[in-house]
Amino acid sequence: MPCQLPLGIVLRDNATFSNYVPGQNEEVLHTVQQTLRSGGEQFVYLWGTAGNGKTHLLHAACHEVSIRGLSPVYLPLAQRHELAPQMLEGLEQLDLVCLDDIQCIAGDEAWEAALFHLYNRLRESGPPLLVAGDAITGALGLRLPDLVSRLSWGVVYHLQPLDDDAKRQALQLRARCRGVEMPEDVAAYLLRRSPRDLPALFELLDRLDYASLAAQRKLTIPFVRQFL
Amino acid sequence: MVAALWKKCQDRLEGELTAQQFNTWIRPLHVEERDGNLLLLAPNQFVLDRVKERFMDRIGELIFEINNGNLPDIQLKIGESTRKRTKQADNEKRGRLLHRDNQLPFRGNLNPDFTFASFVQGKSNQLAHAASQQVGENPGRAYNPLFIYGGVGLGKTHLMHAVGNLILKNKPDARVIYLHSERFVQDMVKALQHRTMDDFKRLYRSVDALLIDDIQFFAGKEQSQEEFFHTFNALLDGQQQVIMTCDRYPKEVKGLEERLKSRFGWGLTVAIEPPELETRVAILMQKAVHLQVSLPQDVAFFIAKRIRSNVRELEGALRRVVANSQFTGTPITLAFAKEALKDLIALQDKQVTIENIQKTVAEYYKIRVSDLHSKKRSRSVARPRQIAMYFSKELTSHSLPEIGEAFGGRDHTTILHGCRKVNELRVSDVRMEEDIHNLLRILTT
Repeated sequence: MPCQLPLGIVLRDNATFSNYVPGQNEEVLHTVQQTLRSGGEQFVYLWGTAGNGKTHLLHAACHEVSIRGLSPVYLPLAQRHELAPQMLEGLEQLDLVCLDDIQCIAGDEAWEAALFHLYNRLRESGPPLLVAGDAITGALGLRLPDLVSRLSWGVVYHLQPLDDDAKRQALQLRARCRGVEMPEDVAAYLLRRSPRDLPALFELLDRLDYASLAAQRKLTIPFVRQFL
Repeated sequence: MVAALWKKCQDRLEGELTAQQFNTWIRPLHVEERDGNLLLLAPNQFVLDRVKERFMDRIGELIFEINNGNLPDIQLKIGESTRKRTKQADNEKRGRLLHRDNQLPFRGNLNPDFTFASFVQGKSNQLAHAASQQVGENPGRAYNPLFIYGGVGLGKTHLMHAVGNLILKNKPDARVIYLHSERFVQDMVKALQHRTMDDFKRLYRSVDALLIDDIQFFAGKEQSQEEFFHTFNALLDGQQQVIMTCDRYPKEVKGLEERLKSRFGWGLTVAIEPPELETRVAILMQKAVHLQVSLPQDVAFFIAKRIRSNVRELEGALRRVVANSQFTGTPITLAFAKEALKDLIALQDKQVTIENIQKTVAEYYKIRVSDLHSKKRSRSVARPRQIAMYFSKELTSHSLPEIGEAFGGRDHTTILHGCRKVNELRVSDVRMEEDIHNLLRILTT
């Protein structure tokens, strides 16, 4: 019997604060949420290796602000070739600005200057700025010292990676958001046998999700074993 | 009505686009109703062009569908929401009215928090501080222009605002304008576009004091330099005060016209140096008072010793300690501050590899790396092997089968057994705990 092809609809993994597993980063989560309310810090810088949840937090912040009817913006600087420094103009009129992967524009004079000016305009007009990068501000390789010192002015957090228990929790939560039930033993099985960084685990979940739909089977250890 | 329509359209788009596309291009758009039609406001030309090119057709289709086959006119423009514009206009109007009644001084972007009282003096900024104070007491006459230079985050902007605030205190109807040189350039470009150069000139030449920050950003912008040169001369002729800051000595700024550089030196040029330890401590103590937290002196010394480069980083470090203490409800002590600032002192996430772990552990126990791969089961080799397995699991994201492979082709259950054993011994054996602690330090710093 030919296997059933699942519909070409992919449920998006909406990043929100409620589906964020903080692990040891509870204070970071608290500070970011606080930033979106008045009286919190205006500038927050988050750093750490990929897969530690920086992008999730920035997307979640955008989500949170927009359900209040306000306008946020998220800039993936890793795709700077599709963007341009002109894109920073007028962002101080919005209600939240999030910049991801700031290390990608390090050494680019036009981008660095544009970010510096944006920072100054934000400081005058008030909306919060969340920035994420892969290293602490001084080690990003930025050439404009004015920009480095401004990024260091706010609260700086190093995001800690999740431990295996928290990763299991994150994996199960992600599965549940997609309408798949991943039993505890299956999650533990995956963590014992596959790479244990979250991007790889989530990617695996994508494939498992698709395969289980196609085979019309639940996620069980025998199914997963066969799949792997 | 329009808002509800747009909300539905956004929900549909959210399902169709990636989170990144949605947050980058759709969420920054602000919707408003204009004569029954739908007006989408983009923050800048770049966003507008991209939305038009990539998403407008789909937005039209969705609105048509959601609105039961009626397509209102959809316009896409650059601009800010009416809500913000109204707020801003109100402020401006109030400012103007009050100014006329002399109830409130003309506040050209001055930050009222930056005063001489809140500026911490030290050897590094003594001269700049004294000169600024004289200029504040006697604008246009003491030193004109006053040129303050020094590295980032040392208090140039603070001093400049302090002068402005002092001028206003002595003469509440004085017109003092503070702006960043970039803003001067932008305003000029706008004035040229809108053919309002006369207003532009009149505005900047009518002030009692013009405070202009970071003039190194004039570099290479010839037309702005030219205009600034004329403004500058007009102000000096009229005995109106000019204060400038720069990140270096005027003669060293590249891309700045010679006649400007020489003219900047007509008044007084003073430097600000990085603050010495005592000043850094005093800055922290003052900042703590401002934040209404109690900061023990030994903690202030600890932070000030660690963070030496500039005042912004110093303040950032203090913010971090305060945030940490408020979150955990713990008072700020030396041990607490050390822990909280660990991240700020480490520079980068150190990439730990299995290979590196094996090498470090073998060296620590004075055995060979090959022993870790071998089948030997004597305690002197088996224990270090388990410890290396434990660190490989905790500090890398390799899968357990991969880790097993790296230890001479062992099964993943062996790795799990090793990790369990180490966790047990850490509780029962003090020396084991100490070894783990030492190794962790070597591996992660």
